[in-house]
This record gives sequence, structure tokens and C-alpha cells, in this order.
Amino acid sequence: MSERRILLGNEAIARGVVESGCAVATAYPGTPSSEILPAIAAYSDEMGTNTQVEWGANEKVALEMAIGACYAGKRSCAVMKQVGLNVAADPFMSVAHQKLDGGLLVVVSDDPGCHASQDDQDSRAYAAAAKIPCFDPSDAREAKAMVADAFDLAGRYGVMAMLRPTVRVDHCRQDVEIMDDVVSQRNAVFDRKPAGKRIVMPAVIHGFLDDHSDRFEAIRGEFGAMDRYNFEVPCEEPARLGIIACGISYSVVRDILNRLGRKDVSILKIGTPVPLPVNLVEDFVDRHDRVLVLEETQPVVEGQILNRTAVMGRWNGWVPKTGELVPEVVESVLLRVLGVEEDLSEREVFNKIEEELSPEKRRPRLCPGCSHRPAYFSIRKAFPDAVVASDIGCYGLAIAQNAVDTNICMGGSVTAASGIYLAFKADGKGADRPIFATLGDSTFFHSGMTGLATAVYNRHAFVLVILDNRITAMTGGQDHPGTGDKMRSGEEGVSVSIEEAVKGCGVKWLSVLDPYDIEKNEKTIEKAWEYASSNGEPAVIVFRHPCITMLKVKPEYRPVKVDPSVCIGCGICIRDFNCPGLVWNQTTGKAMVDDRYCVNCGVCVAVCPKGAIVSEGGDR
Amino acid sequence: MQIVIVGVGGQGILFSSKVLGEIALRRGDKVIGSEVHGMSQRGGSVISHFKSGEHFGPLVQNGDADVVLAFDTDEAIRNVSFLRSGGTLIVNCDDPARFEAGTMGEYLRDKDIKVLPVDGYGILREEMGGRFLFLNVMILGALVASDSFGISMEDMESAVADMSPGTIT
Repeated sequence: MSERRILLGNEAIARGVVESGCAVATAYPGTPSSEILPAIAAYSDEMGTNTQVEWGANEKVALEMAIGACYAGKRSCAVMKQVGLNVAADPFMSVAHQKLDGGLLVVVSDDPGCHASQDDQDSRAYAAAAKIPCFDPSDAREAKAMVADAFDLAGRYGVMAMLRPTVRVDHCRQDVEIMDDVVSQRNAVFDRKPAGKRIVMPAVIHGFLDDHSDRFEAIRGEFGAMDRYNFEVPCEEPARLGIIACGISYSVVRDILNRLGRKDVSILKIGTPVPLPVNLVEDFVDRHDRVLVLEETQPVVEGQILNRTAVMGRWNGWVPKTGELVPEVVESVLLRVLGVEEDLSEREVFNKIEEELSPEKRRPRLCPGCSHRPAYFSIRKAFPDAVVASDIGCYGLAIAQNAVDTNICMGGSVTAASGIYLAFKADGKGADRPIFATLGDSTFFHSGMTGLATAVYNRHAFVLVILDNRITAMTGGQDHPGTGDKMRSGEEGVSVSIEEAVKGCGVKWLSVLDPYDIEKNEKTIEKAWEYASSNGEPAVIVFRHPCITMLKVKPEYRPVKVDPSVCIGCGICIRDFNCPGLVWNQTTGKAMVDDRYCVNCGVCVAVCPKGAIVSEGGDR
Repeated sequence: MQIVIVGVGGQGILFSSKVLGEIALRRGDKVIGSEVHGMSQRGGSVISHFKSGEHFGPLVQNGDADVVLAFDTDEAIRNVSFLRSGGTLIVNCDDPARFEAGTMGEYLRDKDIKVLPVDGYGILREEMGGRFLFLNVMILGALVASDSFGISMEDMESAVADMSPGTIT
């Protein structure tokens, strides 16, 4: 039985995982990959499989769990975003050359254009470094089909396989064929023989490496014959240009050639960039005077072509060296390569329109009613001059209220605070200003605890603020060890206490606060820094308030208004609190409430130094 | 058919594109589109692309959209370039003059683009007690009325009902 449904690319991938008989699926959420694991849970429920679906505390944990399941002979998969693979790089590189029993799939979603990421790294380069097969889908349908082939290949060769969708595949919505059948799998068995096959020790590793390399080359041969993913789209007229297109760029350029009505451009579609079926590619290059390579984000396929004299791509600047290959960019590249002048006159019209109407620029910011906003406001109010290291999560958006100074990567706030403290210590003195590290609950479990243990051990003086909103919010509201909730219906987990974890790391000063209570919190924040700086050790504040958006918790109803007779137009509420519910009235030069966005939480009453923001139903 | 839906995070844009997809699927059309998740949902600009018929990629290119559904006036201004000649702009707007005067007005007239302004917030404030979460359904209603997608009110109502997450209070 089959059925056609409109699925998100991530749902199509999830469906493929369940239909393939995957027994254990793990992940840590990260845009654009976040919807995959919950969809695996939903399809497992729907299809009645016993798939174990779990969030790991981070990507390394998730991948290692999947590897363990594979050791016990099962098909397993780990899902993450591209920067998550950096966290999981250690097990990723080590397991790559082991011969595995089950079938291991790693799904890594890349984010060309950095829509929701700190970089646009190309995970196919990781696949090349680890010498594992990589599939690069062009749409949701192909992504689903590739999952089945990746599991098959992984099982037959005992390798880890990678599916590398990009954001436009993850978040495309397409009609996809789904099946009711699940590929049946053997029972779990841990085969101890031959002894030491899962031990990565220098003494045995050389044999592993040669064997791994042989399997990699055999897969290259198989990819050369896999014409459902690697095929040529010939043109009707003699080819003026050949295009090698991978992933979403293939879909984009097909539409553009149709749009331009070009019949003199042929395409070689490559769906398996690593190991590259070199023969196919070199034959295509030989048959064309000029070849354009379109791939995201780095020249991974292009770099594997030995004779690049006729090749135009990222490395020689025909294709922009960075950024997403959206249709407008691809069309512009194509026209330049074909020697057709691009009509830019309309672009000037649009610039003029924007100039005349100056539409408001909208950057993402914390939601109205978000508990992070008053938390940061309180820190800045207590210490306007503090160094505030931030982290990966919604709270990075507090940059809009000028509240945060740094962010690097998951958990990097804690360790950056340590380093800042040490820099001053190296000068033989204490920090010249208070040092704060701020990160979320999920991020704390992901990578914050190791930094905190290090800070306690080495006696680093700073205040760690854990912004506990009881959910992984930025990625769409996923559970984590702190929430204790799980995805499969009927399963219950155990909530791990942040306070106990903090105490377990050896922290002696800890306070749990409601961030909505701005006035009270300012004093506690001062005490925390006083303790940390005078005792030479970290102090911890947990700001606890459920995420207003993801947990759909309605705040207590406290409508407010701005009294224009009291407001002096200082702009503190706009600048330092920066809530979408408070806006600047150009005509009056004063603040006002925007009822389209205000959620009536009443927190901003404490923000105005003049008391102009007043509760309509009495004081808070 | 190519539609671009633009607005601000939290206005129900993803829901609207799901409804359009469902309607097209029920007609037996092929569907592909693109959504924005994550960072951009936090009050930033949001764009959703929707294509039915024979297409490969999920993104609508500048100059190709039959319809732009704009939940927000500023986002409409920024994204008017998506519309093809003779296309339709449906925009939540309390000041239609912004699309009549100056270079914008001239451009829309030159390209024979039909502008259908709907004072969404005004109407919802008056008629629905300020329950602004109905903005998306209202804009979808305007799409039916514009007749540019050939959808009947019955089809739209049943798709909206089926795709709705549950009772709305």
C-alpha cells in the first residue's frame, strides 16, 4: 500500500528512516534538522514499530548511542545540524573506519546562507575526510529514497553512511509517496568475534584503515552505476555548456533552464558527491568545452575533478565563493557564463521603491513575554558595564537590547567567561568588571556542565546564569534531560535537576529566581557577583520561567498602558527592554503599547524609571 | 501556480502554506514549496514559497509569482519584486496609498499588478475583539475572493478546518 502526502523534507527523511526498519534513532535538535526526530517518533507510533527515539544531551552523545545500537546489530541513525557534527566529530571520525554490524546512518543538515547558524560549513567535506559515502538530495522525494539506499549500503559494506540535506531540502514541502511496509530487521545480537574488531587501538588500526579504504573504493564503483541519483539530462541542441549540479542546486537550475527556454545546456546531476563517481564526471567534462559546477557550500565535487581547466565554479570565482545558491544567484551566474547581459533595470526600480517607502527592517528578537528579556534587563541594570557572555539559543537575540557581548558555540559562554577571568588573572589582578556567562537549560546539559566543572576545579570567579525555560526553544520546542519528557507515546523519562547538577559540579552559591521579578532580582545578581569575586569561584543563578511560545503558557493577565503625561521619551524601555509590544510613537516622541504584539504579562511596568508604564489592573 | 507568502514570525504563515498545499494535493496537483523555520520565527521577516504544477525547486524566483500574500505592509514593499506582470498582491494594509503613489504605484500599474488591500488588523479589532491570530484565515479568504487561485470558498473552508491544530479559544 502506498499513499501520497505533502511532507516537509524532514518528514520525508523521517518516513524513510522508519520504513527502513531503523531500530534506534537519536538526535540533538538544531535548525534545519530539528523536525526529523519528532517525525520519526510520530511515524513509529503510526506504523507500530518499536523504534527507540531519543534526544541525546548533545550530538556526540546521540551519535555514540546510535553507534552502540549498530554494534548490537541494529540499523540506527543519528540526526544533527552541521555545527552539531563538529560536536560529534570525535566518534564520527573514529567509527568511520570500523566495520559495523548493523547499518549506521548519520543525517547532517547543512545551512547554506546561514539562515539559523553561525557558519555555512559543508558536511560533505566531513564525509570526504572520514571516507564515508555521502548522499546529497535535491528534494524531499529523493531524500526519502536516499535514506533507504544509504541504510542498504551501510549494512552491506559495514560503513557509516551520511545523508546531507541542505536547508531548502529539509524545509521544502512536497508531495511524497509513502509506504506502509517496514524493512524487517534481525534481533539485536552483540557478536564478540572476531575479538577486538570494535577496539580502536594503534596496534590494530592499520589493518582497519586499509580495509576501510578498499570498501570506500568499492562504493565509488557502485555509485558510478547508481543512475537514479547520478544521471545526465541531455539537451536538444548541441551543448554550449555542461553543468554539474548537486543537491538543491540541481532543482534550481532545472527550473531556470526551463524559464530561460535554453536548449543548449546539458546537466550532469550528482547525488553522491563522496566518493565521487569520477569516471562519470570526467567523461562529462571531456565532452564539453566548458563546465559549470553548482554545489553548496564548498567546492567538494569541484575539488575532486583532476583537470579543471574547463571547469568554472567556486574555486575560480565564476560562482560566488560563499553563500546560498538561490535562483536569482544561479540565474545571474548562468547568464554571465553564457555571455548574456543581465537586465538590471528592475533592480534599480526596487531600490527606489525601498528608498521612497523605507519599509521597517525586521530582525528576529525575543518574543513578547519571553522570560530571557527581563533576565538580561536585570543583569544590565545591576551591572551596566559587565561582560556578558552568551550562548547558542534564543538568548543570543538579547543582542537587540544590547545585553550580550559574546557567543561562540554550544556551552561556549561558560568557558569564555573562564578565559576572560584568566586574562585578568594573568595581569595579577581581578577582573575590572563583573563577568557573567548566560546559557539555556538545554545548552547547559549539552555542553555547559563540563565548563562549569572546569571553572569550579580551577577557581574561576564569574556568575553563571542558567536561563531555564523548560524547553529547547530556539529550535522549535524540544525536550531535554531537564524536562524529562520523551517523544514516543506512552514513554516517560526522568527529569534531571539543574540545581543538583550544579551542586554536583561543586558550586556552593546557587539561587533560583523568577525572571519576571525584575526589582527583586537586581539585588540577588549583585550578591552573586559579590560572592564569586570575593571567594574566587563561580556562583550560579537559575532564572526559571516556562517558554511563553513553545510551552504556550499564558502569563498572568496584567494589561499595561503608557501614561503619556508621565513618559519623558527617554527610550529606555525601547532600547534596553526591547519588547515587540512596546513601540515608539514618532508623532508624540513617547513609547506606546502595540496591542498586536503585547501579551499582557505586565513585566515592563518595572522597566520605566519614571513609572510611566502603568498596570491597568493595579500594580504587579 | 506560484505564490509567495510574506510577513512576520508568528502571523500564521506556515499554516497558510500548509492549507494551500492541501488544496493543491486534493486537486491532484504536484506541489513543492519552501518554509522558514528557526531564527526567523522570532519576529523576523518570514517568507514561504508555494508552487503547484511542474516545478523542480521549491523557491519562487523574482518576477515569477502569480500571487503575493502579504501579511504585513512593510514585507509587501520589500517583496513586490516576486510578482510577475499581471500578478496579484493581497496585502494586510491600513494605508493603501502606499501602493498607489510614487515609484511603487507607477511600477504596479506598468506591470498591470492588481493590488487588493485588506485592513486586517482594523477588521479583526472591530469584528473579532482583537483576536489577531485569525489574520491568516482572513488573508486566505481574500485569496478566494480574488479568484486568482481558482479556489472555491467550500474547498478553502474544508482545508482550513482539516489543517487546524484544534479548537481555537
